[in-house]
Amino acid sequence: MTAVYKRELASYFRSPVGYVALALYGFLSGFFFINQYSGGNVNVSNEIMSLASFFVIIVPVITMGLFAEDKKRGTEVLFYTSPVSLFDVVLGKFFAAITLIAILFVNVLVHMIITAASGGVVNIGTWGSVLVYFFLAMLFISIGIFASALTDTQIIAAIISFVVILCVQLLSTISSLASSAVASLLSASLFNLNPEKVNSVCDKVASAISWLDPFSKTNDFRYGVFSISPLVYCASMALVFLFLTYRILEKKRWSQK
Amino acid sequence: MIEINNLVKRYGDIKAVNGISFTVNDGEVLGFLGPNGAGKSTTMNIITGYLSSTSGYVKVNGHDILEEPEEAKKCIGYLPEIPPLYFDMTVLEYLNFICDLKKVPRAERKEQLASILSMVKIIDMADRLIGNLSKGYKQRVGIAQALVGNPDILILDEPTVGLDPNQIIEIRKLIRKLAENHTVIISSHILSEVQAVCDRVVIINKGKVAAIDSITDLSKKLSGSSKLSLSFKGPEKEVMNALRSIPGISNVVSIVANKDTSISQVEITISNDSKTDVRASVFYAMSKGNWPILEFRSMDPTLEEIFLSITSA
Repeated sequence: MTAVYKRELASYFRSPVGYVALALYGFLSGFFFINQYSGGNVNVSNEIMSLASFFVIIVPVITMGLFAEDKKRGTEVLFYTSPVSLFDVVLGKFFAAITLIAILFVNVLVHMIITAASGGVVNIGTWGSVLVYFFLAMLFISIGIFASALTDTQIIAAIISFVVILCVQLLSTISSLASSAVASLLSASLFNLNPEKVNSVCDKVASAISWLDPFSKTNDFRYGVFSISPLVYCASMALVFLFLTYRILEKKRWSQK
Repeated sequence: MIEINNLVKRYGDIKAVNGISFTVNDGEVLGFLGPNGAGKSTTMNIITGYLSSTSGYVKVNGHDILEEPEEAKKCIGYLPEIPPLYFDMTVLEYLNFICDLKKVPRAERKEQLASILSMVKIIDMADRLIGNLSKGYKQRVGIAQALVGNPDILILDEPTVGLDPNQIIEIRKLIRKLAENHTVIISSHILSEVQAVCDRVVIINKGKVAAIDSITDLSKKLSGSSKLSLSFKGPEKEVMNALRSIPGISNVVSIVANKDTSISQVEITISNDSKTDVRASVFYAMSKGNWPILEFRSMDPTLEEIFLSITSA
């Protein structure tokens, strides 16, 4: 696992990807920070959660090549024919991407120091936001890695992970859309249903979909209210996508098509 | 030792590999010969554990490649058709990465890499980016990668494809050197290449083993039906009749006939039971008729002809 981890992490900085990501993060975090700083009311949690909404751009960029490039170059043979487990390979790449995210986060740490020094808010809620930030990163990176294993074209991998992550970010919108769609369907005169029942069905549809939303689950962390279940949710979803990635790699070996 | 038993790989309705069995003995250089699409690469991919077989098994030094993959893979160094190189790394960085991947202990690493670099002659290139190397050097780095971890068995899939003649000779020299203390399997679709480096050949066609033979036995079998090509200046029909009357020649076929210059080329087939060397007789017959010989050579059998002679025999 460490072999793949070291290679992937170093390769981010052999290509422009690592530097572009650093520049983008420097600009975005700086923008969010200055925006608040000039307002006179600085809460780094706001900055962190704004950055988290940019995972939809940053994660596809840093994960798209992880497996797609190996497939295209033929270097994936190394993983299949070396005495390593494919799941270790998946984990190595996953942790390399997480580490890059952590390196990018150094920007925010600097802002936290500035905030604390100039009397702004750095409290338990801020650290809660940091925790949420990294658990969300784990979830989205595992989605990006999964997309990268699906294809041997980086751009397609990036588009797949962009769309999936966008859908996850828009889950609250999607849930209200879905419930109103169900409402208009059920309230058609054809079914002749009790409007109260229609409403309760719609509520259930909306709550089922929004249950999946990692953002609303973790919303209270920034106020210092911690709970374990949202973290377990993110970590286990990440594990599911990593496991699926592993199965996709194994499939190549066993495929008979 | 590698034991390959009744290997089948099915892709949909097509059997890319259809019941291949053979063993590779320790210290042997085995040539794996077949036309494109015969199933060479698929078989090699199965032996190295890259693909699984539909049925049948591969045992490497007694370890089944699917049951005990880690043990089996430690014994094998593999150079696929396209060398698995990261173009953004230097040669040394790349080989260190392979050391990590193959779990070479840190203490042995420096010494091992030094000996590999000198063996494949890429010491001067150690700090160059792989993407900037020539194709021949990339192939060497690919072989170096296979040597990491000191495997007993080397599997090289078409190691000289796409190289220029000088590089081909260099790589063949290297393979011969490696053969001194490794078991080597080389695939190729070029007969002369296999003849140059191998002890024994497995010829496969359409996913099946067509022949397993030592090089000397194979060339004996092939020389039984050898052919000569002759270009001369003179009347074609007369010459062909004269040649046909020589004992030991079973057939003479015209290939090129140019009436203006009266230069012709014929193909002479020597009969299987001929004990005498017909080449001298051909020379005297031509000299007697005063027909100058312009070119006279034995024709190397092509792979297709080998298949024909092997499958028809």
